[in-house]
Amino acid sequence: MPMSDEPQRRLEREGALFFGSVGAGLSHELSNVFNIINELSGLQQDILAGAAQDGTAGLGRVADLATRIKTQVIRGEEINRCLHHLSHTVDKEETTFDLGEKLALLGSLAARAARLAEVELRVRSPESPIVHLGDPFALLLALHGCVTTAIKAAVSERRIEIWSESGADGVRVIIRSADPIPQLESDTPTAAAIDAGCAALSVVPRIEPASEGGHRIVLALSGVSTEMA
Amino acid sequence: MAKDRVLLVDDEVDFLEALAERLQRRGLDVTRATSGREALTAVAEQTFDAVVLDLAMPGLDGIETLRRLRELQPNLQVMILSGRATVQTAVEATQLGATDIFEKPTDVETLVERIRSARAARLAHEDEVAKEHIDEIMHTKGW
Repeated sequence: MPMSDEPQRRLEREGALFFGSVGAGLSHELSNVFNIINELSGLQQDILAGAAQDGTAGLGRVADLATRIKTQVIRGEEINRCLHHLSHTVDKEETTFDLGEKLALLGSLAARAARLAEVELRVRSPESPIVHLGDPFALLLALHGCVTTAIKAAVSERRIEIWSESGADGVRVIIRSADPIPQLESDTPTAAAIDAGCAALSVVPRIEPASEGGHRIVLALSGVSTEMA
Repeated sequence: MAKDRVLLVDDEVDFLEALAERLQRRGLDVTRATSGREALTAVAEQTFDAVVLDLAMPGLDGIETLRRLRELQPNLQVMILSGRATVQTAVEATQLGATDIFEKPTDVETLVERIRSARAARLAHEDEVAKEHIDEIMHTKGW
């Protein structure tokens, strides 16, 4: 069902900010890859130049560096895959998608922020694939805001886990932090992103103590979800 | 002559290792640190002609590390080598006493040249301090 103008405008505004933010982070990660490749290839040149001067082969070192360059290329491809996947989440406002795939993407998008905050971020795959009908971009926007909130508050235990649960009342996405999660503040960019995403999804995030310790944010998704056997 | 001593600080281990080896091949004595905290420990224990510091790092970021390094050693020659230094961080780093801001990828020969200049600047500063100290002794002792 199409949204009215105001929520749509908020979603577009917050969505653009979200794209800018995660795009800049992914771009930075890609730069890291290129910088490493630059130094490794420079080192190869140094070794070959040294080998030419003193008559030693240096082939073993060059082969080792080629392997390390290949590792970085694979890393770069993975970052590019995330960027591509994210870009296609805006294709349709309502579509069926694999929830586990979107949570894995969420984990990749939040990985840099988690690493810089020294927080261990883990995404648990569902035992059986869950196909959901809804707006994948709005879901990512809301969840990314929730994960960002949890990362900022993770100052002691520094462990966050994300997973989905399918039950009789539908599908829930859970973000559990071993640290306390504060109530979502209003008037912050992160809260605005969560609000815009949740409004588009017609869900309200709930923060509650987790039985395993710490707190968890729960998003009970409306719309049709199917657990694949 | 003693080698120029540089502390290289970057959380990307592959980058750190490759650049360290390239600097060593050019005659520098390189110590590696993968975090701001490691850098602070190294500077507290050893003398360096220059520190080459990344900005975006887990834990203590480059700006906070720079601030603490300069508190430890106010005349330490610190250069920023970063992937995406914004104008704001560049200004902040300069105000905190960073001598150079390099954007990755940077030319290794330029970096080596700046590190060697940093050594000269450090030695000149030490000479100046020693001279002031001698002058003070001469003055107070009345010789």
